[in-house]
Formats: sequence, C-alpha cells, structure tokens
Amino acid sequence: MNITEKDIDHLAELSNFSLSEAEKTSLRQDLQNIIGYISQLDELDVSGVEPTYQVFEMENIWREDKILPQEADREALLNLAPAMTDNQIKVPKVL
Amino acid sequence: MSEKTDYEITIGIECHVQLATKTKLFSEVDNDARGKEPNSCVSPVDYALPGMLPRLNKEAVRMAVLAGHALNSEINLISRFDRKHYYYPDLPKGYQISQLYHPIIGSGYVQLPDGTKVRIEHAHMEEDAGKLTHFGTYSLVDLNRAGTPLIEIVSMPDIHSAAHARDYCKELWRLMTYAGVCFGDLYNGNMRFDVNISLAKPGAKELGTRAEIKNLNSFRSVERAVEYEYERQSKLLDSGEKVKQETRGWSDATGKTTSQRSKEEAQDYRYMPEPDIPPIHLEQSFVDEMKAKLPRMPEDYREMFKGILPDDTIEILLDYQPLIAKLAELYADNDDKTASKENISTSGVKKVANLFTSVLLAEENTSLLNDELPTKRQLIDLVTMLEKSELSSTGGKEVFLKFFDPEMHTKDTRTIAKELNVLQENDTGALEAIVDQVLADPACAQAVADFKAGSEKVLGFLVGQVMKASKGKANPAAVQPILRKKLK
Amino acid sequence: MLRLLKPNMKGMSMQIASKDISAVSMVKAALEKAEKYQDYHVFVSLNSENALKKAAEIDAKIARGEKVGRLAGVPYALKDNFLSPEGKTTASSKILEPLESPITATAVKKLEAEGAIMIGRTNMDSFAHGSSTENSYFGPTSNSKDKARVAGGSSGGSAVAVALDIVPFATGTDTGGSIRQPASFNGVYGFKPTYGTISRYGVVAMASSTDCVGFFTQNPEDMDLLMQICAGQDSYDMTTLPDFYTTTQSRQDSPRIGIIKDFDNDAVHPEIRRALTEKVDELKKAGYEIVELSMPALKYALAVYYIVVPAEVSSNLSRHDGIRYGYRSAEAETLSEVYGKSRSDGFMPENKRRIMIGNFVLSSGFYDAYYLKAQKARTLIIQEYAKAFEKCDFILTPVSPNPAFKLGEKVNDPVSMYMEDVMSVPINLAGLPSLTIPVGKTPEGLDLGLQIIGPRRSDAAIIALAMQAGDALRGPAAPARILRDGVDGDTKRQDPREEEVK
Repeated sequence: MNITEKDIDHLAELSNFSLSEAEKTSLRQDLQNIIGYISQLDELDVSGVEPTYQVFEMENIWREDKILPQEADREALLNLAPAMTDNQIKVPKVL
Repeated sequence: MSEKTDYEITIGIECHVQLATKTKLFSEVDNDARGKEPNSCVSPVDYALPGMLPRLNKEAVRMAVLAGHALNSEINLISRFDRKHYYYPDLPKGYQISQLYHPIIGSGYVQLPDGTKVRIEHAHMEEDAGKLTHFGTYSLVDLNRAGTPLIEIVSMPDIHSAAHARDYCKELWRLMTYAGVCFGDLYNGNMRFDVNISLAKPGAKELGTRAEIKNLNSFRSVERAVEYEYERQSKLLDSGEKVKQETRGWSDATGKTTSQRSKEEAQDYRYMPEPDIPPIHLEQSFVDEMKAKLPRMPEDYREMFKGILPDDTIEILLDYQPLIAKLAELYADNDDKTASKENISTSGVKKVANLFTSVLLAEENTSLLNDELPTKRQLIDLVTMLEKSELSSTGGKEVFLKFFDPEMHTKDTRTIAKELNVLQENDTGALEAIVDQVLADPACAQAVADFKAGSEKVLGFLVGQVMKASKGKANPAAVQPILRKKLK
Repeated sequence: MLRLLKPNMKGMSMQIASKDISAVSMVKAALEKAEKYQDYHVFVSLNSENALKKAAEIDAKIARGEKVGRLAGVPYALKDNFLSPEGKTTASSKILEPLESPITATAVKKLEAEGAIMIGRTNMDSFAHGSSTENSYFGPTSNSKDKARVAGGSSGGSAVAVALDIVPFATGTDTGGSIRQPASFNGVYGFKPTYGTISRYGVVAMASSTDCVGFFTQNPEDMDLLMQICAGQDSYDMTTLPDFYTTTQSRQDSPRIGIIKDFDNDAVHPEIRRALTEKVDELKKAGYEIVELSMPALKYALAVYYIVVPAEVSSNLSRHDGIRYGYRSAEAETLSEVYGKSRSDGFMPENKRRIMIGNFVLSSGFYDAYYLKAQKARTLIIQEYAKAFEKCDFILTPVSPNPAFKLGEKVNDPVSMYMEDVMSVPINLAGLPSLTIPVGKTPEGLDLGLQIIGPRRSDAAIIALAMQAGDALRGPAAPARILRDGVDGDTKRQDPREEEVK
C-alpha cells in the first residue's frame, strides 16, 4: 500500500509527534519500505488459526486486596515531575 | 412555522461503577482517597514509571462476578484485559487498561420497578483515570483516583423515556449497593452515567443520530438531561435540521447540555490485548459460589411484599436496603439463631413498615438510619404488644424510638414499655376495681343517673374518668363493656 | 609466556572471600579498564564512587568474618534500561533524562543481594530499538575486535564490556536478539531465557510479550550461576514463571540436535555457514545425533516481529509524555506542545519509526490485516517449533546472517538493519530460551557465534549442553596479542578466557 503525506500526518497525530517537514519526508519513505516488507504476510493463509497474544501459559495471576508500603512515596515520585505545585503535577491549561 | 411532531426517544446508558475494594485495581495503595492529600494514594505503577507492571487485585475480580450476578448476566469464564490508547494528563500510561474483546460480564438484564426489562449488552472491568483541576493558565494533576477499579455497565438501547432513564440508573445504584460492590456515594463520583439519546419518527425503522451526554452523577440530572435533549433534538428535527453525532456535557446550573467533541474528531483508541496481564480463567464452581453469596436483590423484595405493602411504600423502603432487609428478616427468615423461629404476620409487616416510614424516615429522625436497627426479637414483641393492645399506636412509636436510645437499645420491648410507662391495662379484674371506684365517686353520680335515664353520650365522659383514674393506662376498648355491665 | 584459564566468577568471589584479592582491587581494576577502553564508548555513565564504597563494605564484611553472597565483590555492567537509584537511567534516550529512579529492578536487587557491584551503565540502542547500538542518543559503541564496526545491539555496550574483559558479566535485555546478536558479534556468551524466567519489573519496557532479561558472560558456568540467582517468580511481574531453573550437569544421553535447512542459503554469510558445518561435524564426532529440520513458517517471523513488536512499543512508550518525569521541551507552551515537542525531541528516529509503525498496525482499518494476522502467524511459528522439538532436543542455528558490519553501513536503511534479526526474532515470538556461544572467528578476526535453542523451560539443559559440548562448540582461542593500550582498534585482542601470568 502507498503511504501518503496525509497518512504520515495522521500517524504523527496518533503518536503525538510534532514533526518537521524533513522528518515527515524521510519517515514517509522509511514507513513505505517497512510496511512494504511486513505486507508479505498477505500471501500467508491463517484461516482457522487462533492468535497468540502471550507466550505465557499461566492464568489467574493476582494478589490479595491488602494495602502495602510502596517502593517510592509521593515525594519521591513528584520530585521527578518537570513542573509541580501543591503536591500536584503542573501542566499547561487543559482546554 | 414547522409543526411539532412527537418523536420516539431511544436511550442507551453506560454506567461507571467504582468498586469498593481496599486497594486499587493494579497496585496495593489505598483505594479510598476521600479527604486525603492530592497524590497521597499513588504507587509507582499508578504514576506509570518506566518498567512498572500491573498487579491485579483478586477482590476486584470477585466483586465484578458479584456485580454480574446482580445484573442477571452470564459470567464469562475466560476474560482478558486490553489497552485503550489516548493521551490525557490524567491518564499516566497513555492507555487505560480495560476489557474490549473478552469482558468478564456477558449479556443480562435489569428489571425496573414497573416491570420493564432493560437488557445489559455486557459489562467490563477497567481502571479509573486521575483528576484534573483547572486554573487560569495551567491545570493540576492528582492521580489519587488513577487505577481505582471500575466496572462499566453497557445497556442496550431499551429505554424510551426520561423517567425510565432515571429509574434504570437508580435501579443500578440499588443493585450495586445491595451486592456490596460499590459504596454508592454519587456525590463523590462512585457511579457516573453516560447517556446516549436519539430521536426518531414513530414507527421509523432506523434509530436517529445519537448524542452522548457524558459524566452525569445524579438520577435527577440524568432525567433532566434527557428531557432537555428531547426538546433540543426535536426542535432541530422539526425545523428540518440534522442532529450531530457528538459528545455533550451537562450543567446542573444552566440545565442545558453543550457540545464537547464531535464525531469527526473522535479518537482512534487503537485497542490492543494487554500483554502484561495473564488471562482470567474462572472455575464454574467459583462463579456459582458467588451467585449463592449474592444477597436479596430489589426484585426479590418486590415479590416478597407485593400485595402486602403498597408499591410506593416498597419503592421507598428499597432505597434503604437495611430497612427492607430487616422487614424480610421479620417476615420470611427462619434462620436467625438468636431470635425465635417465629415470624410476624402480614399485618405485622404493615405495622413495622409504617414505623419505618413514619418514624425512621421522618425528617427529624433520619440520623437514626446510621444506628443499628432493632433486633428481630424486639420488633416481633413490639408487633405482638400492639396487636394485643398492650400498647397504643402512640405508645408503640415511643417504644420504637427507644430502640435507638444508647441507654435502652439492648433492653427487651416490654421492659422499655414498662420504663416508659405506656403499657395498657387490659386485665378485667383490675379495670373493674377502677370502674367501681369511679362509679362510687360522688362527682360521677349525676352522670350515672343520666346514663340510667338512657343518655348514651355520658358514657364517653365516664370512660374518660376511668382513663384518668388509670393514669391513661386503661385500654378504652376494654373499659366500655365493663361500665355497661355495672350500670345495668 | 605461560597462560592459565581465568577463574570463573565462583572462583573470583571465593578468592575475594578468602582475602586472596580484595573486592576493592577487583572493582578498581574494572574501573581502570573501563577508563582505558573509553574510546569504545561502552558506558553511558560510570558508577565509580558507589562501586568502590560497596567494594570496601564487602571487604569489611569479610574482614569481620561475616557471610557474603555468591557474587561478593564481582564487578558487573548494567544495561542502561534497568532502573536503579545508582546513577541515572536513560535507556540511551533523551526523553528519560534525567531519571533518578527511586525504583530498583528486581534483577538488580537479586544481583546486589549476592554482593555483585555495578561499575557502570552500558550504552544501547535507544529504548533497545536497534541491532547495532548506533541508535543511542549518546552515539554508537564500537565492536570489541574492530572499532570501525558495530557492537551489535541493542545491548552493544554490555557485550563489549564483557568482551573487553572490563567485567566478567553484564546484564542485557533481549526482545528480538538484543543479547544474542551482540554476543555473537563480540565472542562472548549471551543468554535469552524462556519468556517469564526473570522479572521485567524495573526494566524499561520495549515489547511486553517478547522482552526478556538475560546476561553476557565469558563462560557457561558463570551464566548458570547468574540464572540460579535471578530466575524466579516475582509478585511485581505477573508474567514471571515459578522458579524452574535447576542446574543440570548430567549429560542427556545422545541428545538430538536439529539444524534448520531453511537457513542454509546465500543470504547467510559463507563464514557463518562454514562455522555451522564445522561445529555440526564436531558434534557428530562427539556423539550427538544431528536432525535436519524444515521450518518454512520461520520466513514470516521477521514480518510478524516488525508488526507485533512496534505495536507493543507504540503502546509502552506512550507514557513518555513529558508530564510526570523525564524531558519536557522548554519551548512547549500549550499542552499539545508539551506532548508533541517533548516526544519529537526526546525520541530517536528509530524510536519514531517503530512508534508510528505500531500506531499504523493498530489503527482502525488496519488492525485485522496487520496486527491480528501477525498474531495468528505467530501461532504458526510456535506450532512449527513444537513440531521441531518432537524430532530433536535442541536446535543449533546462526544468530544473525552476517558478522559485525561496518558502522553507518545500515543505520539509514531500516529494512536492511531489520534483516539482521531474521534468525533471532522467531525465538522471541515463541518465548523460547536461546544461548549464543562463541564458535570462532572470520579470517579478519571478527567473532562468530551460533545459538542453541531449546523448548520452553529447557534453560538449564541448554547451558549444560554448552558446558558439555564445550570443546566441540568452542572456537579455537584467538592468537594471544598484548593489546597496545587499546589504542589500535584493529588489534586482535587476546581471548578473554585467558590471561597471562607474568
């Protein structure tokens, strides 16, 4: 399939990137090639085959509903935030 | 001037229910952040540090199964989690862990008070997002709520009026609180409703374009929002305009809905099976065990008290699960080891229901609802004494109130009645003595003479005298025949 | 000049415990070598101060006669995608910098509990996206035998750290070959365990369903020790298996070793094909039965991998948004700029390619044709391995079609770079264990490696096979040469398993 500029803009939006025109051009070429390669799956017949999402055969892994101390507390976590006020993470106004 | 058509309204509702677990869905931090400092209930998992992985809370799964039973739903023995992707500052991972392809709760139904059935499409587990507070130029992120376990209940578009929309939401609230999986605190967002509304000409084959009203948090606002949307959309349609498929917000203050996001800007969530969580595979035996654990649901109580209590009384009591449950205990349950095996009659049920509604639900007493209810024994005795006229209805109410008095609530009914001095005198011997004493009183000579002369109306006066002499404890109904006998 | 085999790590920690050598001198030596080989660009950051402090503590413990762990005083290198409060975790990216992690990865906890001492964080392809370590925000790492060539990747720094004998072991992660391929490019052992054997907790995620924690060592005995220490279930990683790893010395009677016909073609470098044929003959001589396998589904593995993995990558990397930690663009004024600029500046080109491919295969309209279909094809690959392991106990294949290629040769051509993973990714898609063993060198002195693949949970058996068949498999030691202070990159180094005794 052919990757258009519009496709790149859409994928950039889904990826939350703000890309330069130069980046868009090179990414468009790269994605074109990569998608061209992975599209070889078209020739493979998988009718009646179940998908595998995990190669982990176990089930029902869960924990008890008990409050436990955590490896990092509020201070340790919020100290990582680029901007913080009143023990909350600060971001530009959400419109 | 376009003429007004009566449109057929079709409503589907998605309800988010916060599960009443101790800890979050995927981390071992406190799930109840009410009155707590911002970001004080946040684990590195909720904060989405790199390399952090979810740790599933088994209790949330158990509660989801209970909820499923309350919704008369199939429980899917195998369920999985999926990732729903979108960017928002209150969504730390950039995706919400939810269930799209294999939800834990399958199709079921909810029955409304008037018998209408609303089908449940499915219900799934997911995690709640954090909270944003907006200021002049910036917003602040509090992640205390991020990771709170939710189940989202998705109804079929089976609702066709604002009243039914309200009833459905209220019934969900009852089902979830009765099942004990949600605290049901609407003010704190324990349950939130997204309402899809579309209009169509009567008999139209296709549904109209729908608008979704997001994040309603009271039954009243659900009802009002639907009414408003009916008006808004019918005006549009009447004037030949189209209804936009969009998400709208509701304001209680203005009583209006306003556009938030239109379908064109709708997000592509790129759902993907969650690779960090192994599948849930429930044993049928566990599912059945949960079904057995499910307490009586509103429908059970309706069935139990139909024809005994007026429907509206039943509905009022259904808003207070402990009251209706106590009533059922008195009427139907024989398994109470502490109390006697006996149960009260239907007239007794009426008496207690009346005490509940007229005394307990009276404005000035609602605080008592937080107290422990009287025991089965206490209430059975109360009903018996009322039926034997050992208590007048006023005396009964006084005694009933004392059941909530810290000094008295442990005492048995008769003792309380004695201490309140409200026991009625029914013993003929004792009453005759008082009657003789009254008749012997010179002050009554005239009345006695008048009665013998055939004046019936003085009998009331004489009964009054007896009551006075008995300090009000005599049962008037028992006094009259004795007077007549003695005055022969 | 007389040569002795270097002691393995067990030996080292015993020498330290018995005070023949001090932990401090061990760590000092490692740090000195790290400095000496600076120009290979092995490390993103060194941990000298902490390391020496910890070493001194261990020596003190020993002096007090206290019991010390199985790795007491053994220096190691940590791939920079493991979280630990020692130094900053960058995953060789800009967007994580500076992350002073309050968290310690489970694997790191286990190593430190045994007294291992982290001397530095090794360079990698940013977020482990790559096969050459050229996609690092901090620049590429050079191959241990030829500075003009790539170290392999994504765990290039760790492989070279062990190959240059700076440390006896280093951690790595393997999502599609990121341990095994750089191991074969640098002549060391590299092990990718069965999926779920070692906890991923605290390891910056690449692709959750294929990520594995593993190690680089100079011999299989050390690998065995590390597996004993690090394998096991972790309540902080729901996808970890209950510990099944138990060292097996016992040689399977007449183990059958499968070789894959489908890989024997011109796409594979002649030197690698030669090495494989040689080893197969030696194994035959040593009494192993050789089974020829046809596995046609494997040719789709690379396409499947570059659908499934980017999908999980795009998902796992959405948390890097400049809001709660890491880099937030200074020019960002609006919220969408915080997202857009921070992610665009913070990610390397290869990160962006994979994130966008992932969003493509997951986006509405393409999910079924790409993502879902790939997950079905994945089932076929798993079934093909299951069938193969009915015919044989292990499979011996090349790790990559070529030896170490030149720096810059493929970095701007993603697809040709991806092709280098064609023999390593199927193992990850099936969650199987696989060990890279050094088997020799090309005439120009580049390392050659082969991988031993086994069924799920056969980890101990694979490592045991490497020990038993060692002589049959191990390549001839490279001619010893005293390295001229590591200045001349083309100098062939002495084999790290040997050291001179003056």
